[in-house]
Amino acid sequence: MSQATLLTTKDLSKHFDGVMAVNLVNLEVTDQEVHSIIGPNGAGKTTLINVITGLLAASEGSVTYQGQDITTKPVHERVRLGICRTFQITSIFMGLTVYENVRIAAQSHLGGSLRIMSPRGGLKRVNAKTEQILERVGLTHVAGRQAELLAHGDQRVLEVAISLASEPQVLLLDEPAAGMSPAETDQMSELIAALGTEMAVLLVEHDMEVVMAISQRITVLHQGGVIARGTPEEIASDQQVREAYLGGDDWAVLTA
Amino acid sequence: MNSVETQAPGGVIIKTVTGSLTGKLIMLAVFVILAILPFVLPDKFWIRQVNQIMIYALLAMSLDVLLGYTGLLSFMHNAYLGIGAYITGLFLIHVAPESLWLAMAVGAVCTTLIALPVGWVQVRTGGLAFALLTLAFGMMFYTVAWKWYDVTGGDDGLMGLPQPDITLFGLKLASSGDSTAMYMFTLAILVMCFLFTWRVIHSPLGAVLEAIRENEQRAAFVGINVRAYKLIGWMLACGLAGIAGSVYILFRGYTGPGVMGAFEGAGVLMMVLLGGMGTLWGPLIGAAIFIIMKDQLSSFTEDWEIFVGIIVILLVLFLPRGVAGLPDLFRRGKAE
Repeated sequence: MSQATLLTTKDLSKHFDGVMAVNLVNLEVTDQEVHSIIGPNGAGKTTLINVITGLLAASEGSVTYQGQDITTKPVHERVRLGICRTFQITSIFMGLTVYENVRIAAQSHLGGSLRIMSPRGGLKRVNAKTEQILERVGLTHVAGRQAELLAHGDQRVLEVAISLASEPQVLLLDEPAAGMSPAETDQMSELIAALGTEMAVLLVEHDMEVVMAISQRITVLHQGGVIARGTPEEIASDQQVREAYLGGDDWAVLTA
Repeated sequence: MNSVETQAPGGVIIKTVTGSLTGKLIMLAVFVILAILPFVLPDKFWIRQVNQIMIYALLAMSLDVLLGYTGLLSFMHNAYLGIGAYITGLFLIHVAPESLWLAMAVGAVCTTLIALPVGWVQVRTGGLAFALLTLAFGMMFYTVAWKWYDVTGGDDGLMGLPQPDITLFGLKLASSGDSTAMYMFTLAILVMCFLFTWRVIHSPLGAVLEAIRENEQRAAFVGINVRAYKLIGWMLACGLAGIAGSVYILFRGYTGPGVMGAFEGAGVLMMVLLGGMGTLWGPLIGAAIFIIMKDQLSSFTEDWEIFVGIIVILLVLFLPRGVAGLPDLFRRGKAE
């Protein structure tokens, strides 16, 4: 099975006042694969995602998506192309209902935002898409609830649902299971694994059990640079990774 | 806030705030009462008073599109009322003294066009910077109106305004100089603008503006061109303010630079806050409260601003969602 490379970064760097948060990172993100980025705190994982998605401007290097240089494209255009993300700190529309949260994303993707003579619920394809996604992630029963009133775990799932409404081809998830209960984490990793068969998933996650279980490929960041890449098995036995994590609790899981 | 549960096609219960039937009936009743008012109120003073309230209600509602729905703070929205007023006035004086509708249209279109480059600059910033730029541009427009004597009449303002007939499909209805006719004309414009804005806010476009208000970053990350939609919201709000300006100068037969001052701008903001932002109808009530309060207080004391200030502070502290938040207070009282 040969899978297409959807997104590549070439010597991608991000400096903050001389600090190399991301340093000459070369990455290939492949279709239908869960590709995890791991590394100790401050390794530059989130910064890397921020630069790839356009939240931060790259200091050097380039991001290429399906043959197109998108290094300087604004966020919303990257989303239109199919690069979507979730945030480490939940970023949803707190004042809107769950349904409205997903609908606005579906509407933005499918069109109809300028039909001022239509009621908000009058876009049939948008409604269908919204309901389909809520069904898939299991939020249908809370569709009418205000997002702010959801349990933390459901808010995390909602953020993934919002991203799915844009029909991404590359989905970047920044610690989607952060703060979740073990049961919720299991459900989330199941969902991510399933998404990994449909699109490219770039996952930043601290829970090594999750990473080892669902990733096809792992890239290890340390102090902004890539120190190792490979399959979960290769990473687990890598000497450099062992040193980067030395003393960390994560390592126990890696070798377990 | 009126909320209603509707059944979506997929069997999902969606709670929307598109307004319940009760809410719509109340709005209808208010507009009907407003329409009857000039025929039961003998005093011309009160007719003109309510007329003025309706003009500022339109301005406050237009500011709510920005503040309550798009989440953008404009300190001097009255500047665009002023621009609409001056342009309509200049058009009536110099171009076509008899063409009321054309003057209105020119006023609204030109105000929107002037707002375009201003908005283009403003949406490139966010939060406080946006608000400060509205202040800076507002001050500039005020100074232009005040100092460009040859065109605006400077301090004296724009005088000698013709009073065109109010016509409908070429039929003369009345003169805009007649206070009852002007009142009905203002009401008609207010109702039309309210219905139009209500329609737009409850369309998919309104959902986009609300998404930007709720979370600008997430809005961008669902593919919304945040700047472009902020600009659309800005121009809609300024266009409506321009219409309010056209009615304003027809009503007063005069405009001076004072109407564009920063103090006036703060007043419009207070109207929106008093009434309750993000409702469209709240600011209409806010405008009435503010103007009546101001008039009553200023008949007792010359330092009425102090008392307006105190009342606004109390309301912000104890009724943060304005008059529109009152039903919630009662609802909470019942639940506890």
